[in-house]
Amino acid sequence: MIDTLAYPFMQRALMAGLLVGVVTSLLGVFVVLRRSAFFGDAVAHASLAGIAVGVVGGLPPLLPAAAVAVGIGLALHRLERVGRLSLDTILGFILPFFMAIGVLVLSLSPGFQPELLSYLFGSILTVSWQGLGVTALVAVAVIAVLARVGRRLVFAAFDPDGAHAAGIEVSRLLTLHHVLLALTIIASISVVGIVLVNALLIIPAATAKLLARSLGQMFVLAPLLGIASVLGGLIASSWVDAPSGPAIVLFAGMLFLTAWGRAAWRARRRTGKAVAEGGAS
Amino acid sequence: MRALDVKDLTVRFEGQDRPAVEEVSFNLEEGQIAILIGPNGSGKSTVLKAILGLVPSTGDVHVFGMPAAEARRQIGYVPQRLAFDMTLPLTVAEAIRMQLLGARDAEAEEAFHHFTDALGVTHLLGKPLGTLSGGQLKRAMIARAMVTRPRLLLLDEPEAGIDVGGEQTLYELLQRLVTHHRLTALVCSHELDLVFRYADQVLCLNRRLQCVGPPAETLTADALATLYGPSTALYRHRPQGMP
Repeated sequence: MIDTLAYPFMQRALMAGLLVGVVTSLLGVFVVLRRSAFFGDAVAHASLAGIAVGVVGGLPPLLPAAAVAVGIGLALHRLERVGRLSLDTILGFILPFFMAIGVLVLSLSPGFQPELLSYLFGSILTVSWQGLGVTALVAVAVIAVLARVGRRLVFAAFDPDGAHAAGIEVSRLLTLHHVLLALTIIASISVVGIVLVNALLIIPAATAKLLARSLGQMFVLAPLLGIASVLGGLIASSWVDAPSGPAIVLFAGMLFLTAWGRAAWRARRRTGKAVAEGGAS
Repeated sequence: MRALDVKDLTVRFEGQDRPAVEEVSFNLEEGQIAILIGPNGSGKSTVLKAILGLVPSTGDVHVFGMPAAEARRQIGYVPQRLAFDMTLPLTVAEAIRMQLLGARDAEAEEAFHHFTDALGVTHLLGKPLGTLSGGQLKRAMIARAMVTRPRLLLLDEPEAGIDVGGEQTLYELLQRLVTHHRLTALVCSHELDLVFRYADQVLCLNRRLQCVGPPAETLTADALATLYGPSTALYRHRPQGMP
């Protein structure tokens, strides 16, 4: 790994991975708080419609993909409020509808498009300096916005009615959260791809939830676990010469399973102790 | 001083034939505990939510002389239940501090310590919210609503999910808060004995306001039969004259 770090492509991959790992896992804590784990999957898959328009129309594919994702992010909270449908149901419509548009648009373009595979499964080792710049820009913007509104966003995500009663603009904040998520998802597609991007949003945050004793700890642990997943996945993939995106997700999954096992073991031990104390008295 | 002035409050939800709450008018003086009673679906929680601006409504609501929308910082709210993920590692301290956003640090800290102590939740501050019992959670939620030092406290069925002893402790705490902090409280409840014990004023609601006044004079057998149906009966305990 140290040797391969001498190569610029590996340096770019590492930097892009770390940026994405930190930002997705931070936003993932809010996703876990809002119990909207399906959001990342729906927006990532729906962005295929934008990628398809880009591929067929000769545009940089991530630009129309970002337009689709941000459009969904802007509309989602309003749709949730005016309709009689829950967030999950709306997302359940958005994912197949936009994906179907994407597949239909792609069918207009003859032949096989090899770059499509990199959007589906990620291609971190081919991230360009320009791509890295865009990822860094999104990461800095997301972290700056979270530093400013993060506490209010926690309040709005945990207790929307209470936040509204306290004078917080809940609708605007939740829409802002959706837009940040949409931009982060698009910036992460080049790293882990459409199929796996939701894993980076959810798994480090879920692992942190299992390990943390407070919400504050969860916000510290989640980005650390995101970084560990990216580093571990990249090292493992360079050792065994495997695709990096799936390796990162697998590594994150192993950390999650370890934390889950630990939590289950501790719960069992507590129950056993309580039963033993009950029997003794 | 008048703490709450509600005039012709009407709430109509989209797609429903008739309003959930219709032309409700009442007022509360500062330092009063008023309890809003009525059958399920009578609009009790909706009245609280309309005062808070959480549901669209028509009519006028003034809090200490100001339109309710401009007086949000004067109002504290304790919902019937928080729809949060019980497995979150959110501690009691974090949930309470969340309410203190934007408050000045020294004042906020003082209020935090004062109300966590007053509500008896100091020993629970490091515990995850999801591990508390019903009574502990309610006390933590009242402490959370009180840390911003509201002058009007709205509580939606605070006794829900609490045993009889816990109910009494909770209402005694509320009474102490009202006395010591010049608080006015509007409470939704189903428990008539609590109304007789703790309310200065009772408001009987069944979409429209049907009776208002001191409980002993207002809650007659006829009034209750009108509110809950003819099968309702009122029995008084001999020693205290309470139902």
